[in-house]
Amino acid sequence: MLTGREIISTLEMLQNEHLDVRTVTLGISLLDCADSDLKTFKDNVMKRITTLAKDLVKVCNQVGDKYGIPVVNKRIAVSPIAVVGAPFSSPQLVEIAKSLNAAAEAVDIDFIGGFTALVEKGMAKGDRELIRAIPQALAETERVCASVNVASTLAGINMNAVLRMGKVIKQAAELSKEKDGIACAKLCVFANIPQDIPFMAGAYLGIGEPDAVINVGVSGPGVVKKAIDRALESEDKIDLGRISEIIKRTAYKVTRVGELIGREVAENLNICFGVADLSLAPTPHVGDSVGEIFQSLGLRSIGVPGTTAALALLNDAVKKGGAFASSHVGGLSGAFIPVSEDLNIGKAAEEGYLSLEKLEALTSVCSVGLDMVAIPGDTSEDTISAIIADEMAIGVVNKKTTAARLIPVPGKKAGERAFFGGLLGESAIVSVNNAKGANPFIRLAGRIPAPIHSLTN
Amino acid sequence: MTPDTSLKFSCRRMHMYSNGDRMMKKIVISVLGQDRPGIIAAITKALFLADCNIENVSQTILQAEFSGIFIASIPADRSALDLRSHLEKALMPLKQHVYVKYLEYDKGDYPFDESEPFIIVTKGPDRKGLVAGITEVIAQYGANVTNMQAVFEGGDDPDKNIMIYEVDIPTQIDQQKFHEDLRNRANELGLNLSIQHRNIFKAINRI
Repeated sequence: MLTGREIISTLEMLQNEHLDVRTVTLGISLLDCADSDLKTFKDNVMKRITTLAKDLVKVCNQVGDKYGIPVVNKRIAVSPIAVVGAPFSSPQLVEIAKSLNAAAEAVDIDFIGGFTALVEKGMAKGDRELIRAIPQALAETERVCASVNVASTLAGINMNAVLRMGKVIKQAAELSKEKDGIACAKLCVFANIPQDIPFMAGAYLGIGEPDAVINVGVSGPGVVKKAIDRALESEDKIDLGRISEIIKRTAYKVTRVGELIGREVAENLNICFGVADLSLAPTPHVGDSVGEIFQSLGLRSIGVPGTTAALALLNDAVKKGGAFASSHVGGLSGAFIPVSEDLNIGKAAEEGYLSLEKLEALTSVCSVGLDMVAIPGDTSEDTISAIIADEMAIGVVNKKTTAARLIPVPGKKAGERAFFGGLLGESAIVSVNNAKGANPFIRLAGRIPAPIHSLTN
Repeated sequence: MTPDTSLKFSCRRMHMYSNGDRMMKKIVISVLGQDRPGIIAAITKALFLADCNIENVSQTILQAEFSGIFIASIPADRSALDLRSHLEKALMPLKQHVYVKYLEYDKGDYPFDESEPFIIVTKGPDRKGLVAGITEVIAQYGANVTNMQAVFEGGDDPDKNIMIYEVDIPTQIDQQKFHEDLRNRANELGLNLSIQHRNIFKAINRI
């Protein structure tokens, strides 16, 4: 029998603390849609997506209503297009991106990921063509998201690819300059990309996944913050160990929600359930912020000394709680620190508490990377590549996922604001060291070998 | 209904069964009175002395009032009226009131529709007719309240007056209309209402 206290505290989480299912992402394999004729391929893809996903939004809403928990976003992740569309040229791949966009519109979802290339050890023809197509594809569509995996612990860092991606990001920004470079907000460069992330922009359906799968991304930084606030107020002998325990239990509850909803959506759609990604993913709404958690913990703002330790505690506690809650945990599963999608983090950047260097340090203990970081529009390609290289090195050496989603905002400088809109939010532009300079180190390119501890055979 | 008529009335449909050697009949005993130590001891002793077997018990303390329900079986040839007298004598010093009636059915006799468990929670300033208003809508759709908890602390702070209804809602009804009617009624009563499936509460709070 449920106690009144349990019922009331659950309702508090749902109604006042922004507990929600951040995304239900349907992974769709396009591998058997492959064809060397463009029209046939596009038709196959459109048919596959619109058939499998036609009830996705409806079922998510129904299940959400049944439990009183909104499924905020419904998304689709497809097989890496660089693999499925390997025979095609860049212009043809841009057309394919537009097909994906149309399919997304047809089933009423807001983002479709999978315009992806996996090049950690080298680039094949399909990869090269896709990477070349990215700027135009992202500038000319609204819903397509792209990702490129340029490094892994087993393979090392493909510096040729890193160098290419610096150029690609600049181009994408230039092509979308009237919207502050928004194309770059839909592009992530990864090290150790997981094959089942439900969140954008990195979502894609890995090779080795089934025909179709439902992955769910939960959220609830507000719930965690409130739990910490309550504990600090009511408990006498509270220390960081106890706080870790509280975060862990809260992460358990949050993940249970995602697991329940994800499984039921999967069952109703007759598609298998993949993973629950228990990341704390903030939104620009008040009370739904990861940055505020740091303030609850007693730090003046995210970015001040102590932040890295706090984030290490938070990320670890979230993983532990979430792992107990779900039998299949995957994706990123930790805390996100996107600069523009979190009001509090954005403010910290603006007020100078949070620099690019500190963000980089934080990525060594959290699950994402340099996420939604707006940088000056005149940052050079070299410097962008160098920032990416640093981020990749952190991921490769520490056997974790890291990523860079950098947005050089054309025509704007450090300290000014960039406006992306909706979930992508807005933020201050952070300053970059040696932004405009050339970088002969990066230009040496080639491959940085895999670290010694990858030799685990 | 006086104690005599409650027995007479229920005796028309009393449930009897054989436990192997004897015919037994089932009775329901309900006890109300100010809570204090010794009540259950007194009841169960009286039942034991009357050759009764207690099958199930439920007890609650509401504010300071004790309320207990006992389902017991007594040999069919024993008098329930006598049993009631014994109980009354045993409980009078403890100032408890006893009601006895026969159990009129076998477990599972009522034809409940196939249903799903939901939890309805209302929050709002206290006033007369809140529970009546909400439960009227619930009853209109054939839904059954299986458990209710009230946290009435009086006054105007909406968050201090919370009613929790655990409800089995038949699957065949128009769910949308039911939710709509509930919310409309809640609005009329100045209440904030939420309704969701019980599984979410279990999923979050139970391992």
